[in-house]
Amino acid sequence: MRDLVQNVYQAKDTDSILNLLDQYQDEAKIVAGGTDLIIQMREGNVSPPVLIDISSILEIREIKEEKNTIELGSTATFTDIEKHVFFNHSLSAIAKAARSIGSPQIRNRATVGGNICNASPAADMLPPLLAMDAMVVLKSKQQTRVLPLSEFITGKEETLLKSNELLEKIRFQKLNPNEGLGFSKLGVRNALAIARLSLAVYVEWDENDMCQNVRIASGALGIKAQREWDVERFMKGKCLNNSLFAEVAAFLEESTMKRLAGRSTMNFKRYAVQGVFKQALDEALEDMERRMIYEKGSF
Amino acid sequence: MKKRGKGIGCTFYGTGYGNGFPDVSRARVQLEKDGAVTVYVGATEVGQGAKTVLSQIAAEALGLSMVEVNFVCENTDETPDAGTAAASRQTYNTGNAVKRTSEALIRKIKILAAKHWQEEDFQRILIDSGKVFHTNDHNKTLSFKEVALLAGELKITGEDSFTAMTTQLDDETGQGNPYWPYTFNVYGIEVEVDTDTGKVNIVKAVCAQDVGRAVNPKLIEGQMDGGFAMGLGYVLMEDINLNEGKIKHDRFSNYLIPTSMDIPDLEKMIIESPESTAPYGAKGIGEPVMLGVAPAVLNAIYDAVGVRMTTIPVTPDNLLVAIKEMDRKEQLHGK
Repeated sequence: MRDLVQNVYQAKDTDSILNLLDQYQDEAKIVAGGTDLIIQMREGNVSPPVLIDISSILEIREIKEEKNTIELGSTATFTDIEKHVFFNHSLSAIAKAARSIGSPQIRNRATVGGNICNASPAADMLPPLLAMDAMVVLKSKQQTRVLPLSEFITGKEETLLKSNELLEKIRFQKLNPNEGLGFSKLGVRNALAIARLSLAVYVEWDENDMCQNVRIASGALGIKAQREWDVERFMKGKCLNNSLFAEVAAFLEESTMKRLAGRSTMNFKRYAVQGVFKQALDEALEDMERRMIYEKGSF
Repeated sequence: MKKRGKGIGCTFYGTGYGNGFPDVSRARVQLEKDGAVTVYVGATEVGQGAKTVLSQIAAEALGLSMVEVNFVCENTDETPDAGTAAASRQTYNTGNAVKRTSEALIRKIKILAAKHWQEEDFQRILIDSGKVFHTNDHNKTLSFKEVALLAGELKITGEDSFTAMTTQLDDETGQGNPYWPYTFNVYGIEVEVDTDTGKVNIVKAVCAQDVGRAVNPKLIEGQMDGGFAMGLGYVLMEDINLNEGKIKHDRFSNYLIPTSMDIPDLEKMIIESPESTAPYGAKGIGEPVMLGVAPAVLNAIYDAVGVRMTTIPVTPDNLLVAIKEMDRKEQLHGK
């Protein structure tokens, strides 16, 4: 018989979460939206004796826009993100990623913090946040740690989150007019689709069309959502023209074949990764152009 | 790159169990003491509209409005066997049984009235809108209730059955009459194929369905919408992923069916061409409405990108690899 949950706490503020985590450590699981955890519990894959419900704490649900940064409270739902005014006039790739998740019902409950801590290789919000070089703020009763998201995610459903820690918020820099972010997800159907492959591309171009900086992150292309460091190095410093895309596509194909060697999906993903990359890159460039127009218009 | 293509899928479909297998529907229609009429039939309503269509057929045959006909189905204790709600056979097969049964009741009512009026030929009696008349004497009328009272304690029922006219095929000559009747269907579908990802989107779809006679056009349109969605899932998504005898896709999170976001409006055309052996010409369309979808989509994909897909479902995985392999072959041959 499945082990039953013995205690469920509804935390009233961040401190009470941290105290409960400190008290129960490994025994406790945090539940926010529950769209992953409850299913895992029903299937008997996890059976925590203690549940700490953090879904009603508004202080960690806020989406804060500051001068240069954006902070996502960890229990911000995908509906919160999708509808937030900032993501509708800037960084629309983040709103797009949020909108691509599950159904409206799931988006109303599922949280960005849950998406990160569950660390599915196909998690839809991870590639855009990785491409934004997001930092995660982890809090315990004893200390606060700030880590790059790319280091925090260590494997398939594996993170550096300690048993007494709460993912409090996610922070990243706003973009300048010469920067852009794009996101593309390939799913078998147009809603309620788990990504077969997803990519987020961040680019910074200078006035001579040279790629000053680039960050590429993938989902469902290996054991975890991850930065594609090799591709980034390959692309940086090159000029934007037709041959650049073909070169990067060939590079992506080769690295995908290496990474997925022996897997049945390799033959599909070696091709699909190029198409998804093209869409994400195009969108990043469009985003940059929009930002430049917006910037000019505001003067 | 996104490429568009159009395809057509035509099908003909044999209704019923077929091949000489006894395909029998039975029904009973009873005149109640209060003058109401009740139809008893073992047809199962599974959402396809059997209750509505069979009530309509009974009402038509009895000369009553639908609300004047009680309908009892599914209860095996009360109803005679009408076979399964399968093989798209209830409208045609059981519809015929209900029509014949209703006609048998009408005949009994006429005979009773003729006897009452001392008329030798019951064919001189007419029935319209729940009233019984004598053709030669318009002062002579009876209501159904009055007819029921004429019979006293005796129950007035009509009982009949219908058996589809099929024969087993001759093993030697391959000849015979395996199904009766057939329905005809055509789908025209336009797709947009993303040649970079292998994803297929349906842009436009039209379905023309031969129904014999449309007993209930709204229900037919509902069946067409449902069949179209099922056909789309079949050709583009649904995969049980059998691996060494085990079904790997054993839940709806991995056994994918279309959502409303995947389905465009279907343009629906109902083609009426009455079938002489059918109740008022009507044939079943439950299965036929999904059959043309897959061939039309496969043809449209071929028209769009030049790839002949020979296995379904055509997921992005399968199609993208096929497109890339074709590109490579064409490059090799310097095309």
